[in-house]
Amino acid sequence: MENIEKQVQEHAKKLLAEGKADVIIGYEKGTLPSQTAPCFITDPDDTGRLVWNWFCSVNLAKYAHDIIFRHRESQQRTKPEERTKKVVGIVARGCTTRSLTIHLQEKQYDRDQIVIIGVPCTGFVANKKISIAVDGKEVVECSVDGDSLSVKTKDGGKDIPLRDVLADNCLTCRFNNPMISDVMIGEAAPPMADAEREYEGIDEFENLPVEERWAYFTKEMGKCIRCYACRNACPSCYCKTCFVEQSQPKWVGAGIDETDTQVFQIMRMFHTAGRCVDCGSCLEVCPMGVDLRKFLKKLDKDDFQLFENRAGESMDSLPSLSVYSEDDKEEFIFEP
Amino acid sequence: MTEKANENWEPKIIAFVCNWCTYAGADLAGISRLQYPPSVRLIRLPCSGRVNPFYIVKALQEGVDGVLVSGCHPGECHYISGNMSARRKFALLKNFLSYVGIEPDRTIFTWVSASEGEKFAEVIKGVTKKVKALGPAQKLVKRL
Repeated sequence: MENIEKQVQEHAKKLLAEGKADVIIGYEKGTLPSQTAPCFITDPDDTGRLVWNWFCSVNLAKYAHDIIFRHRESQQRTKPEERTKKVVGIVARGCTTRSLTIHLQEKQYDRDQIVIIGVPCTGFVANKKISIAVDGKEVVECSVDGDSLSVKTKDGGKDIPLRDVLADNCLTCRFNNPMISDVMIGEAAPPMADAEREYEGIDEFENLPVEERWAYFTKEMGKCIRCYACRNACPSCYCKTCFVEQSQPKWVGAGIDETDTQVFQIMRMFHTAGRCVDCGSCLEVCPMGVDLRKFLKKLDKDDFQLFENRAGESMDSLPSLSVYSEDDKEEFIFEP
Repeated sequence: MTEKANENWEPKIIAFVCNWCTYAGADLAGISRLQYPPSVRLIRLPCSGRVNPFYIVKALQEGVDGVLVSGCHPGECHYISGNMSARRKFALLKNFLSYVGIEPDRTIFTWVSASEGEKFAEVIKGVTKKVKALGPAQKLVKRL
């Protein structure tokens, strides 16, 4: 992993120095020991800040979209012939490249505006799982050694098997190696072992009685404080004005009414139907630990079973709601 | 909209119908003097592809007991493919709503063409019967 980190830094430095990228988006050391923060590097001498480790969690594709759009907006009052394009270099694992593919398919920017530094990925550590393992105590030190994660809190240390703290979406990931890249670092990582058990939890939940499902849904959504961190972190949520902020019409109320929260969550999740790459960013940033994946994965499952699409798998497989087929299944259609 | 279920209770159903087929089908049902339950309120849209999934969820939140969406049969869309794009959306939405725990019979999708006045009356009868069996909507309903 240190080797990968070094190569990421070298490639980033080279791209910036040669002027092939205006900015590199990567991860840097965070303020907490078990976290990393996204960073934006424009100076080739600064590339030493870049890190690659088990704590690189959020999907960076979101920032690529943000930077390109901010730049495009800043150019609105420039003469068309003088407008420039911003080229963004991005450190990307499998799910990040799938998000980038979605952006490209949805014509958000051109392929030549991003330079992808592909990194093989073996998963990231979910902070929520660490905090459950240490009973919510403050983590003072955190490091990975081989197959175990050693955490130190004020009261003492603890060794946890790495598998137990890897994010759920990583454990069943099918696409841990970059799908597209300009520079590929290292050898392709071995596939994650549990990909076949991807929908296990979903099948189980589907078979529960409808009242129990509703009870679970309301319980989970009851935790939501509507901070919109999930939306802000989601690379597929890039609308300029999100429906929650629209006032004409006002789609969802802004108060504390629980149905407003439920409607917000249903619709935000539905907007990612066929576009969610299961990167786990929304779960990672959620301050309340809402189990969003249980519901998002259902959309993913239907998407695959009904339309044989896996979001961002390749440039040719468009998001399933952008296309149609004459032979789509229609058992759900009511015939009197 | 919080009336209790009793034997006189009639469901409130919103139907989003396409201008070219189902609305004309409803018209034909009217001209033919076919009888169907008065529980349904039609909202005319240009195409079933115009139905934003949000309309359906929002209607449920506002307290309707059932939502019906009806358009032209696939392949007969006035806009060539509007209903086929819609079909994908509805397939995912219906599954998703029932997955989170809203009874699947509250959201119903169907195709009724302009010449199917009789089918329109049958659809309304069928939907009313299904929704009546479920009773008044309780889930996702915003209460003031």
